[in-house]
Amino acid sequence: MLHAPISNALPVMRLTVLQGQARVSAGPRVLFSTVLGSCVATCLFDPEAQLGGMNHFLLAEPGPGAAGVDEHYGVYLMEVLINEMIAQGAAKSRLRAHLYGGANMHSGMARIGTMNSEFARRFLIRERIELLREDLGGTSARRVEFRPALGQVRCRTVDPAQAPTPAPSVRAPAASGDVELF
Amino acid sequence: MNKPTRILTVDDSASMRALLLNALSAEGFEVAQAEDGLAALDWLEGNEVDLVITDINMPRLDGFGLIEQLRGGNTSHRNRPIVVLTTESSEEKRARARAAGATGWIVKPFNPEKLAAAVRRVTY
Repeated sequence: MLHAPISNALPVMRLTVLQGQARVSAGPRVLFSTVLGSCVATCLFDPEAQLGGMNHFLLAEPGPGAAGVDEHYGVYLMEVLINEMIAQGAAKSRLRAHLYGGANMHSGMARIGTMNSEFARRFLIRERIELLREDLGGTSARRVEFRPALGQVRCRTVDPAQAPTPAPSVRAPAASGDVELF
Repeated sequence: MNKPTRILTVDDSASMRALLLNALSAEGFEVAQAEDGLAALDWLEGNEVDLVITDINMPRLDGFGLIEQLRGGNTSHRNRPIVVLTTESSEEKRARARAAGATGWIVKPFNPEKLAAAVRRVTY
């Protein structure tokens, strides 16, 4: 993955990656943007396919006794991101990763940011995906901008007020988890 | 006492395998796990199961290939239920799984209770 400044040569199409989302694109104009507090964003890039994707997860994985996995968990969003990358032409063996976020912004609260960061690192090791760069932890919110077709990332700290509240967004019920027998 | 239902789960994600193992073991099922279609076929050469739960997108041999091999083979696995558990929600892929001989289709993220209910429906 390259770390050169993001090029201004093309008019950029900015797409926000919200909590609970994973997006993939090979569009040369596309820029994925997200703001992170304790959440973690994974940027994946396949340099040969010139294709990239970003997810943004709220929590790592369900603890014992949890009701199940929903779309806010890293364990789900990592798989969605990898599968979508592969579906659009990436090879898993070529994937390179960056990790951002995982701040512990409120002292006294559970260290969700640390747990998210540790999960993300562990996940990449288990899946044998090379981690090229990380900017995790601390107490500051971050804005991450990722050009998926170029593999270029810019991460900077921002005013904590800009970070989304770490709460699941309310969405229409998805078809996920439903069982269809043929 | 009845013998526990034996399930083989096939998924290339170690994290997803761990979640499935927890969810299915907690329901009293006997769980074996493979990391892709080829590993599943290897394991099935020497073992019997009551149900296969497989992901679609996997290296070496994907879920479609696994279903086709099992349905086209001459082993006892030919008639066993095979449920697909995937993040894919496309109609085209679901139709392809059905045509290949899958018994059911579940979209991740899965709900452990619904998954266990589905297991009971297809194995009893």
